[in-house]
Amino acid sequence: MKLLKRIGSLALAGAMALSLAACGGGGAGGSDGTLTMQIWDTAQRDGMQALADAYHEKNPDVTIEIQVTSWDEYWTKLEAAATSNTLPDVFWMHTNYILQYADNGMLADLTNLYDAESPTFYTDHYSDVSISNASGSDGKMYGVPKDKDTVGLVYNKEMFDAAGVAYPDDTWTWDTLVEASQKIYDETGKYGYMAYADDQLGYWNFVYQNGGYILNEDKTAAGFDQPETIEAMKFYIGLQSYDWCPDQVYFAETAPGNAFFSGQGAMFLEGDWNIMSEMKNYPDMQGKWDVAVLPSSPDGGRATISNGLCYATSANNQDNEVVLDFLRFLGSEEGQRIQGESGAAIPAYNGLEETWISAFDQFEYDLNLEAFIEMFDYSVQSVNDKSRPNWKSKVTDELLKIYGGTVDIDTGLANINDIINQAIADAA
Amino acid sequence: MFQKQTLAEKREQRWAYLMVAPTIIGLLVLNYYPLADTIRLSFSRTQTFGRSTFNGIENYITMFSTPEFWKATWNTVLFCILTVPVGIAIALLVAVLLNAKVKFKSGFRAIYFLPMVVAPAAVAMVWRWMFNGQYGIINTILGRQVNWLTNPNTAVVACAVVAIWSALGYDAVLLMSGLQNISKTYYEAASIDGASRVRQFFSITLPMISPTLFVTLIMRLMASLKVYDLIYMMIDTSNPVLPDVQSLMYLFYREAFVAGNKGYAAAICIWTIALIGIVTAVQFIGQKKWVNYEV
Repeated sequence: MKLLKRIGSLALAGAMALSLAACGGGGAGGSDGTLTMQIWDTAQRDGMQALADAYHEKNPDVTIEIQVTSWDEYWTKLEAAATSNTLPDVFWMHTNYILQYADNGMLADLTNLYDAESPTFYTDHYSDVSISNASGSDGKMYGVPKDKDTVGLVYNKEMFDAAGVAYPDDTWTWDTLVEASQKIYDETGKYGYMAYADDQLGYWNFVYQNGGYILNEDKTAAGFDQPETIEAMKFYIGLQSYDWCPDQVYFAETAPGNAFFSGQGAMFLEGDWNIMSEMKNYPDMQGKWDVAVLPSSPDGGRATISNGLCYATSANNQDNEVVLDFLRFLGSEEGQRIQGESGAAIPAYNGLEETWISAFDQFEYDLNLEAFIEMFDYSVQSVNDKSRPNWKSKVTDELLKIYGGTVDIDTGLANINDIINQAIADAA
Repeated sequence: MFQKQTLAEKREQRWAYLMVAPTIIGLLVLNYYPLADTIRLSFSRTQTFGRSTFNGIENYITMFSTPEFWKATWNTVLFCILTVPVGIAIALLVAVLLNAKVKFKSGFRAIYFLPMVVAPAAVAMVWRWMFNGQYGIINTILGRQVNWLTNPNTAVVACAVVAIWSALGYDAVLLMSGLQNISKTYYEAASIDGASRVRQFFSITLPMISPTLFVTLIMRLMASLKVYDLIYMMIDTSNPVLPDVQSLMYLFYREAFVAGNKGYAAAICIWTIALIGIVTAVQFIGQKKWVNYEV
């Protein structure tokens, strides 16, 4: 029995350690002059701090505290906070989640935020894609647009030169992409275009270029049974069967960005929000790479996925003028300009795109950043619906099965279609 | 039974309750309430933001009819089979060696215990680089190209190696404390009788240390059945071998916090608790055959 006691005390000690670990922090909204603002991107902390300082200068009695958590933790924390009614005063919202939060009544309706200034403020200064990225299913605004982004083709100029291939431009199609990749592989032994299992930075772009869709327009059904979608998916997944493209096993250990910047491959798709940190993190590579618009489908179909974040606040703050005024500032021209000049992301505010480009003046080498801006003309809103958090990981699992060869592509795509339709039905 | 208490006794009792109250309240609020709530959730259909409706044993029916779940259960059991016996055997060996008269004994003890002090996430990160198929140090030393973490056959082994490595020091320290309780006179008597070192180990050390060994075994098994952080760090979500290595707790995490399926995840949790309960009960019955309490 001595032993049992010993186990007992051990268990007790363990339980105490557990309870200590469980006592995490939690944000509490207060109007005592300090507002908390929660974000997930360390790279944008300085930009957000600049906004907070600028606002504090105009309103000395309000101080804004920026809190950064990692992407994964952010959503776990935010959901717990929403459930227990302790959401931070202002927080970033992502298109993956905005419908889930907005449609469940967690976010304040910000449609009339700028009514005193101009009732058409949003439509005057923000694009339709930006506005819908910040809207709930009922069409009301549940966030102030923060930024907007596109996906571009990043390429290694040295490898193109070595293989004697012309740099990518707007004449490129899928066929050119394949030919160029083959030539680069033949001439230099390096990988060509690195196509991996990713949605926003991968197959979504190709599906929309081909005239297909992931979700139909009223978001009631998946599009993986559409011939255009199937064709694009087969093309995209099939790229890994070429010698010039690494397979999914390779990408599981080495992200395409790492492969690219360590000189293993010539091309990959990248979002504009990563460009600034890539310039900073790979100083040796500066001048050796550039950006181009995405290739079009063989029939000339153009598309790039455009996503955008927004600033949101809890439904409890619907009438909290302190919070609302800060939000108003964040969406104003001044607020958006400060954000753009920090270089982290392209401001959602129309006409301020150049502020993001000017942030790159600190480097000696000029990238063709206009390519990202140019693509807004035919950008497609990032795919989302209320049930996306529920189907996202399951679709990835199924896609990996197709890549791994345990499921053939037709069955796999049919399964993906079922998974999404089921999630839509469950969430309804 | 119902003897009258004196006033002094009552007062003393009140103090006793007051003293244990922080722990008891902590346990109730932070351990037993969540446990009860998990049981409730496992019988509910959950939606986002904490809303749930009772749906009977539907989660369990779904769970038991999902191949992915059975695969995860098997993965967890396999992980235990790979880590526990080998891990404890090595820990015992290390404990015996560190208990002997060697130079720099305390230095070695510290080295073996170090992995325990390092955050599991950091441990996994470093090992992940070492196992990397393209430029990992392990492949460089072996001079061949093995995709340790992306081949279904080696990924489990790789995770098991890291688990054994990081638990070794802790187990060895526990066992060492057991070894130090064994009186030296037994060994002296045995060597006068002419028993060899090996014979001494099996006839004296092993029976005498069996109670400590038993505690270590139980703790290690529980920890292995609950393995999560190691696999989460070592195997990326874009890794095609994930279904072949994901443990029950990893599946639980993905269902609860990635897919937002908390009811179903709670059912997985309850199943894991049951599994640990069964395994531990079997061990308590089995211990009568080999654990020696007569000292």
